[in-house]
Amino acid sequence: MTIQEIMERTGLKDFTLTKAYIKDAIHLIQSTTEDSISKSYSNIVVASDGDDNLYELPTDLISLKSVSVKDTQDSKYKKIRRLTTSPTVAEDSSPST
Amino acid sequence: MSVDTHKTYFYELKGKHIVIWKLVDTASTDTIGSYRVRLPDSQYKDQLIYPDEAITNGLRFEYTSLNKIFIKEDPESVSTSLLTEDTSPNEDSHVNVNRMRALAIIDYLKATLNEAKGDLQMKEYYMREFYKKLGDSESNMRSISINFPSSPFSVK
Repeated sequence: MTIQEIMERTGLKDFTLTKAYIKDAIHLIQSTTEDSISKSYSNIVVASDGDDNLYELPTDLISLKSVSVKDTQDSKYKKIRRLTTSPTVAEDSSPST
Repeated sequence: MSVDTHKTYFYELKGKHIVIWKLVDTASTDTIGSYRVRLPDSQYKDQLIYPDEAITNGLRFEYTSLNKIFIKEDPESVSTSLLTEDTSPNEDSHVNVNRMRALAIIDYLKATLNEAKGDLQMKEYYMREFYKKLGDSESNMRSISINFPSSPFSVK
């Protein structure tokens, strides 16, 4: 459906406002259901500092569906589980020991 | 080499980040004389440690996002892989959703307009219609239907 058709059906005359409302609606759709799924990759590094196991979530993320780590033996990404409780360590300044 | 990552890696959410943990249940050992001993600094039993191996593109996120909202082609007649994003959309641009979801978007817009007018009853009505159409769109994919037999004594 074109933006013009949506404007005619709703009676909206402001194109910029219509675009903004459509973005809001799709944001809500993507929050509650799955219309299109995006994928993003990042490198896993050997931790040498206290925050080296922190990885940024994708900037355009609306709803996280899964996190996977590559199994280098068979080159497949396997979904990993979320911890329900945090480990007792709040900050580790020497992760290698 | 990372093996069975679905069993050995875990994550937790921390604001805009995730924290990756690796589960290890091995210990480094050494043989002294004829005795095999565990080294005092090594991990032992089940422990969560920081990732100890670099994996290029090792972390994969699957998520929903605002991806190609406005497109040049009609999504109902062109294959999804051939759709091109319209970076400067105009009134002839298409919204990248199927028709049922486009109708749901119209309901959302009507709800927003009624909210701006202060008509909360109509806003609620259109939001209900919005979610109903979203539900219809979802169930169209899954093809699940429930039929109930009608009672022969339906007139009560």
